[in-house]
Amino acid sequence: MNKVKTQLDFKALIKNPYLQFILFGLVLSTLPLLSAQFSFIKSGYITTVGVALIYAIAALGLNLLLGWSGLISLGTAGFMGLASYISAYLTVDMGLPFEVALIAAILVPTFIGILVGLVSLKIEGLYLAIATLAVSEILRKTFEEFDQFTGAFSGKSAKFPQLFGMIQLDRASTYWLIVFILVIVMLITYNLVNGQIGRALNAMRGSEAAAQAMGVNLLKYRLVAFALATIFASVAGVLYVHFIRYSYPSSWTLKLSLDFLAMIVIGGLRSIYGTVLGAFIVFAVPDLFLKQIPYFSQLSYTLNGVLIILVIMYYPNGIVMIFKDIRRLVLKWIKKGDRKDVK
Amino acid sequence: MSTFVQILLRSLESGSVYALAALGIIVIYRTSNITNFAQGVVGMFNTYVVTFLVIKAGFPLWMAILGGVGTAILMGFTIDFLVIRHTKKVSPVAKQIITLGLIMVILGLAPLFFGVDPLNLPRLFNEGNLTLLGANISFNGLFNIVFGFVLMFVLFYILQNTKVGLAVRTTASNEYTARLMGVPTKTVTLGAWALAGVLGVLSGVMIAPTTSVNLNLMDVVQVNALIACVLGGFQTFYGPILGAYIIGVSRNLLIYYVSSVWGGQILYVLILIFLIFRPYGLIGKKVVKKV
Repeated sequence: MNKVKTQLDFKALIKNPYLQFILFGLVLSTLPLLSAQFSFIKSGYITTVGVALIYAIAALGLNLLLGWSGLISLGTAGFMGLASYISAYLTVDMGLPFEVALIAAILVPTFIGILVGLVSLKIEGLYLAIATLAVSEILRKTFEEFDQFTGAFSGKSAKFPQLFGMIQLDRASTYWLIVFILVIVMLITYNLVNGQIGRALNAMRGSEAAAQAMGVNLLKYRLVAFALATIFASVAGVLYVHFIRYSYPSSWTLKLSLDFLAMIVIGGLRSIYGTVLGAFIVFAVPDLFLKQIPYFSQLSYTLNGVLIILVIMYYPNGIVMIFKDIRRLVLKWIKKGDRKDVK
Repeated sequence: MSTFVQILLRSLESGSVYALAALGIIVIYRTSNITNFAQGVVGMFNTYVVTFLVIKAGFPLWMAILGGVGTAILMGFTIDFLVIRHTKKVSPVAKQIITLGLIMVILGLAPLFFGVDPLNLPRLFNEGNLTLLGANISFNGLFNIVFGFVLMFVLFYILQNTKVGLAVRTTASNEYTARLMGVPTKTVTLGAWALAGVLGVLSGVMIAPTTSVNLNLMDVVQVNALIACVLGGFQTFYGPILGAYIIGVSRNLLIYYVSSVWGGQILYVLILIFLIFRPYGLIGKKVVKKV
């Protein structure tokens, strides 16, 4: 009797979403240890996976915007780039601590993001997407031209972060910092979308008129959605510049914004794990897997494009659905087996 | 005055490039309901084909351009036949990502065929200058402007006055009803992708002599063409073209008269402000939403 009860508790514990996120983070954080242990996990994988996780953070913000609120944005790359330059400038040129730079690098893009949120009240759909693309292009051109601040085409360099002015991180520990922040962002996203804000955003996506009739203040929640998306993108930008330690204007193009869109569409709209999975498929799969296939190492980028097209053609609701399909197939298979036994 | 005319002529040249690309995007958008982010990359690939035919195979440029147009049509057919046809049930947002997949495929393939070194494409007319009101323009630039106008005039004539044009317009207004009325919408979509490919390679060949032929050849054109579509409005075929010329002209005027560093950014800010007051572009009408 006693044994059954503990088992049940264990099951409930596993089902607890908060613990799942933390467990997910713990699994991810074993990568540097594994790569030190096994030679087939190259240490370069830490960089690849780390960047994929950084992209996942920004993509989670975009998912709040597109998935939950139904507002499309192609400006993520510009905001991420702006945050990366601000953080690099403040830590390297001004010598400010990492934490101060982080806050400043979140505040400035978020202010612009809120302005875009105001614009979104008037412009909709595809027009909004391309209007945000224009914002992103304005920022990117500024990165190219404003060279005393951004180093123009030669790029801006930064160092691994130094926490609280005394703990100097290296590559592996910065990776852990990324995983830590990703888990926190996942927890925040989970709480937001299951709380009052999430319900308001959902209502707004379904029908604006109905949402307004229910007492949802469109202006407030659009601004909240854009602010959150920009905050997540800025955090990702800061982590990027301190992990890769370089920022070039050519990194923050339309292509990257489209990549973010691809991540959430492929992973699954309104799915937190799907977004992370999508980031892996779009960014890490060519480096980690496709390059290992003999004769095809040159074609990894092309194969990834084909993969994206195939996923959208056959799993238009996101690759997360594949797990449901597999489960259904397995259940069907088990049932079949049962029936045979009966006969 | 002569400087002004000079800037105007140059702008019309770049405006033609943007207009051709924007027309490619709007044709795809109206017939397949996809925002074609791959328009520039398809143009880039076929411009590479043209350059390769000129440099490696020794073809004269006009024949090479015909070759590039051929591969563009082929590519348009392939894209529609293999991918777009099978995406009827895909949600509108996911459809946009398909063109991102196309971008990745083409960007991955291009270096395999053409190498990674930038190539140089010669101009169609190497010599000759025309002086107009004290402003100089090369025959090549003049040809680009005139060619852009003529091509668009021909396309709009076909669109407005022929049976083919009618089929395209019907498909654009409502694909489902068009199919019920016996319009071969599949063929129309196939043709639209081929036409977009051709417009892409033509705009690529126009802009290539001003820089070098490389993987990022059409990035600026792509972004400006998209913004031109928003400025002109997605609801008509001619709105984006108008938008493209406005962007071409005002961009150069701002860069020359206001600020060489901030001209481009100021233009985008102005367009954004304009969009706040006219959210559906210059020509676009407000879409009435039913509750």
